Amino acid sequence: MEETAGERCEPEIAQEKVEVLEKKNEETVELPSSNDSAIDHEINNLTDELGPNLNLAEHEEEIYWQTAEWKSKKHVFVLSSAGKPIYSRHGNEDDLVALFGVMQAIVSVVLDSDDELQSIHTSNTHFTFLRKGNIYLVSVSSIPLETAPITKLQLTYVYNQILSILTLTQLTRIFDQYNNFDLRRLLSGSERLINNLVDFTETDPAFFFNAVECLPLASSARDVVIQAITSSCQKIKNLLFAILLAGNQLVVLIRMKKYNLLPSDLHLILNLVSSSQSFRTAEGWTPICLPDFDASGYMQAHVSYLTEECQTCLLLLTIDRELFFTLSEAKQKIVEKLQKSNVFEQINESIQKPKILASEFGISRLRHFVYKNKNTNQFVYPKYEVPYLLPESQNSLLHLYSQLYQQVNSSQRPLKVIFQQLKTEAVLGWDTKGFELYLIFEPFVTKSEAINAVNKLLKCMKKEEDRLFISNSATF
Amino acid sequence: MATKKKGLLKVIILGDTGVGKTSLMNQFVNRKFSGQYKATIGADFLTKEIMVDDRVVTMQIWDTAGQERFQSLGVAFYRGADCCVLVFDVTLPNTFKSLDSWRDEFLVQACPRDPENFPFVVLGNKIDLGNAAVPSKRAERWCQSKNNIPYFETSAKDATNVEQAFQAIAKNALAQESEQDLYNEFPDQIKLTGDSNRFNNNDAGCSC
Repeated sequence: MEETAGERCEPEIAQEKVEVLEKKNEETVELPSSNDSAIDHEINNLTDELGPNLNLAEHEEEIYWQTAEWKSKKHVFVLSSAGKPIYSRHGNEDDLVALFGVMQAIVSVVLDSDDELQSIHTSNTHFTFLRKGNIYLVSVSSIPLETAPITKLQLTYVYNQILSILTLTQLTRIFDQYNNFDLRRLLSGSERLINNLVDFTETDPAFFFNAVECLPLASSARDVVIQAITSSCQKIKNLLFAILLAGNQLVVLIRMKKYNLLPSDLHLILNLVSSSQSFRTAEGWTPICLPDFDASGYMQAHVSYLTEECQTCLLLLTIDRELFFTLSEAKQKIVEKLQKSNVFEQINESIQKPKILASEFGISRLRHFVYKNKNTNQFVYPKYEVPYLLPESQNSLLHLYSQLYQQVNSSQRPLKVIFQQLKTEAVLGWDTKGFELYLIFEPFVTKSEAINAVNKLLKCMKKEEDRLFISNSATF
Repeated sequence: MATKKKGLLKVIILGDTGVGKTSLMNQFVNRKFSGQYKATIGADFLTKEIMVDDRVVTMQIWDTAGQERFQSLGVAFYRGADCCVLVFDVTLPNTFKSLDSWRDEFLVQACPRDPENFPFVVLGNKIDLGNAAVPSKRAERWCQSKNNIPYFETSAKDATNVEQAFQAIAKNALAQESEQDLYNEFPDQIKLTGDSNRFNNNDAGCSC
């Protein structure tokens, strides 16, 4: 579009245009009038800020948001519908307010024509937009591997994290009352939760598979934990969930009858625990909104680590704000009961034990696999082995899995079975009623070898099922 | 409950084409003035940090296109503004007459909560030219009639009153912010309805 405008203009004007492209924040240039010209102009503005071409203005010294390093980073921005900054993954929002204004202008120009901007792609940069009420989210990435559905999901997670802190009710009320509100006033101190969650959505397979991992444990030991929790909480009304975590792995999940937790909400709980060091030293009592359970309001979470010796984190989620002391007492009872058994040792043993390896199943040419139980949304993700020891190769494996997962779970054209021989690996995905299975092989594996591998792996999984997964039936 | 946190203000500059909106902004932000005229397309954005009563405030300044053919940013653009700056050229009475319609346009588009008390500031620009056709009295009278809008006569060229005007703009906008009181309400607690559609609603996607 720029070229055609230049050609039609007088030579001096074309000259001026070149100059304008080199200067920033001064792009006030005559262009043929059309509705699109404003959009083009703003897009140029945005790519200037974030695009791959280093475009230093002559009068400005090295500013961090104009460096090549900044442009190569993956960015997440959150802004209000007024164009006010709410969050930037990198840098300081105050330095970037002009950029936030540009983003709002681009989104709103499209909105004004009763349409909705989804994404913008340039040769090197991908912009993805998500609008949720008064909250706009933007992802900017130069990674060609990024796929739109995953990026949208990542932005949805960021939005859900904000809801988890504020609730939809509060967020809606604030912007209904004050559409110029600076939401950072309410989110200050919570940035680390968003930062941590964005990292999670880039590196943790749990995000890509919409599932959680369980701590491998003999089912008898798990039953002891469940028994200890249910018997200690028996008389407590309004207790919705009890969750025991070992790192990012689920030890047990007990729920009130009729209610269930989705992986997306569980991920927010995992994020809260992993971002907060304070729970290690003191009991926490914190409001938390789980958007997929109920975005309108808060639950109250009692959060504590069980003992010094056993670093597992217990969360008791209730709808009753007055329940702190009751739950604190219940936690003591749970610990006492568990100390009488040898469950803590068993849990510690499992925590210290190296994660399951794909190679330990003795299946030739199998490099890695994922087994997901669809009824419980729990999955097994073996430890990385050769050739996935470097972070880059782990990233591309994750990307491969996420593509496979999307092909199997595509809303338009879901596939039951998929086998592909790619440049560096062969992949197989299989979707059944009860589980999904994804296998990564060496590239020259044959179809029949792959099918044999599936059968062999399924047998092993069946045998280990009780230890690897938690049946979701435990209720108060 | 004003926190001592940094503030952020969205400031929109409106006025007829050529009255010096972009020049005022450049003088304020970059302390520069250029005699050359370049029309603004859509909008431009500039940022400036200033101190207002010991508080650091970031001004997000939305410079708009005065020329009608470049005004492609509608309703959404004005939304959530903290202050609106109306600019006219003291040597051109017509640009002063337009202030009424600029103000109305803004109030219609932005729909502020309390239009009567929304902070406007009026700037009569180009006083350095020395041939003012809009007398101060006349401009002040108009401003008084609109619920006492502050009025400044400015020159983007020699920087007269520019700093002062933007200080006033920030002060007025901040005064509104302190009225945003959100802390008196108890947080919303969820209620259990026994509604079983929450149960396993992820299964809606699969057939099991």
